[in-house]
Amino acid sequence: MARFGMVIDLRKCIGCWSCTVSCKEEHFLPRGMFWNRVLISESGKYPAVKKEMYPVLCNHCKEAACVDVCPTGATNKREDGIVVVDADKCTGCRYCLIACPYQQRTPYKDDKVEWFPGQGFTQFEILGRTLYPLQKGTMTKCNFCAERIDEGQKRGLKPGVDNDATPACVISCPVNARIFGDLDDPSSKVSGLIKVRKGFQLHPELGTDPSVYYIN
Amino acid sequence: MEYEWMVRYTPQREWIEGQGVLLWLAFFFSEIGAGIYFVSLFLNFKAGWLVGWLVTLVLGGLIHLGFLGHPMRSWRILLKPASSELSRGLWVIFLFGVIGFFQILPVVFSGLPWTGESSTMSTIMGILCILIITHGFLTMNVVRALPLWNSSMIIPVSLVSGIWVGSQTAELMLKISGQELYMSELWSRWSLLSYMAVLFVYLWGTYHASDTAKESIKRLLIGDSAVRFYIGVLVIGIIIPLIITLVVWGNGFEELSGGVLFIRFVCVLIGDLTMRYSIMKSAIYTPII
Repeated sequence: MARFGMVIDLRKCIGCWSCTVSCKEEHFLPRGMFWNRVLISESGKYPAVKKEMYPVLCNHCKEAACVDVCPTGATNKREDGIVVVDADKCTGCRYCLIACPYQQRTPYKDDKVEWFPGQGFTQFEILGRTLYPLQKGTMTKCNFCAERIDEGQKRGLKPGVDNDATPACVISCPVNARIFGDLDDPSSKVSGLIKVRKGFQLHPELGTDPSVYYIN
Repeated sequence: MEYEWMVRYTPQREWIEGQGVLLWLAFFFSEIGAGIYFVSLFLNFKAGWLVGWLVTLVLGGLIHLGFLGHPMRSWRILLKPASSELSRGLWVIFLFGVIGFFQILPVVFSGLPWTGESSTMSTIMGILCILIITHGFLTMNVVRALPLWNSSMIIPVSLVSGIWVGSQTAELMLKISGQELYMSELWSRWSLLSYMAVLFVYLWGTYHASDTAKESIKRLLIGDSAVRFYIGVLVIGIIIPLIITLVVWGNGFEELSGGVLFIRFVCVLIGDLTMRYSIMKSAIYTPII
């Protein structure tokens, strides 16, 4: 069985936030909710100023702290390594959010939030509530676009190779800074990049073994 | 440096701000209820059993439910005791509720074929009380991402403070019911001294654990939480009760009037609540990058 993961090339990322926007569009995320973020820091003094961009998302850790602490099994790991939340089982205790060292989870607290306050829901928001209903009082997070992967694989497509079976943030990146694939397949592009360009994980000392790697 | 999300030390908010305040109160009431029950077991003070049981289950339990996004699904929390501390905690509270019910029943209704005084039942309840007293901080302790909580010394702090508050409540109830205070005052005396010692070791040990832990302790002692900590935890929670305890220790029990006992009880409650709030509020995450 595959273990899906992602490599993010920090040298290519230009901080355009297209990953953030495409993720929100793909999952109809309400205002204020982000499953993909781009962290930006500036260091140095003029004229030697350096700007660094770090796109971050759920790391789909192999040893996921959120899965261990979830008391109901709502947060669970699929066989392909993707960590998902079953909203029907979630009690909204937020233990997973507390336990995540990367803080990549968002509780869905208010289902009345409109994209344009006071204007009512847009057609897009109404459609989203039908196609991708979120449950108020439960936890949400990036799921590596598991629905795209599942649908694509049913059609014989390969995640990370075929766009229709690949996460939205990967295919929308205009500079190909994100690469998706099977970490357990030594011949996959992600495995090659991690090996050749010495991919690193965020906070490996915590023992979570993230499936998102960075190269620089 | 300029920063955005998680690029600098970020405090945890979900378990202390907004609805998170309910969790702080729920942990507090569960623990002091169990503390009252625990001390009352040793003093054979049956009214204390009933009060402790009710405080833990009714106050602690209901406030816990109020914190959840979907309280009607709370039964699901029983499903993963193998890996989740929250799940194990609910099992302990469930057993505490059931076994405690049978221990307390003869106190309320006479003529039942058993008494609640069997040593087996009391031993089991004592163990369950210890597990409930430490449950809140044990739940927090497994979170490796927050070094302030992931300290081994947080469990003794939790245990001793639970017993300290429990002993104060039980002693006040004994005074009101006109019973002997000698043993309960001994409990108060030694639990206060132990509390001071474990709190100091916790702060000192955690400060030296990691950079993030050090930053958390700085926030607690010289940062955002400092005023709260010094006034609530140190002055009200420790110094005033310590003065009262030492005066009573030196001058005998005649100094221990109901008013003095009540003042110490209120100070201990405020001190314990503030200590728990400060620890929950000062926990911070290591920056992602």
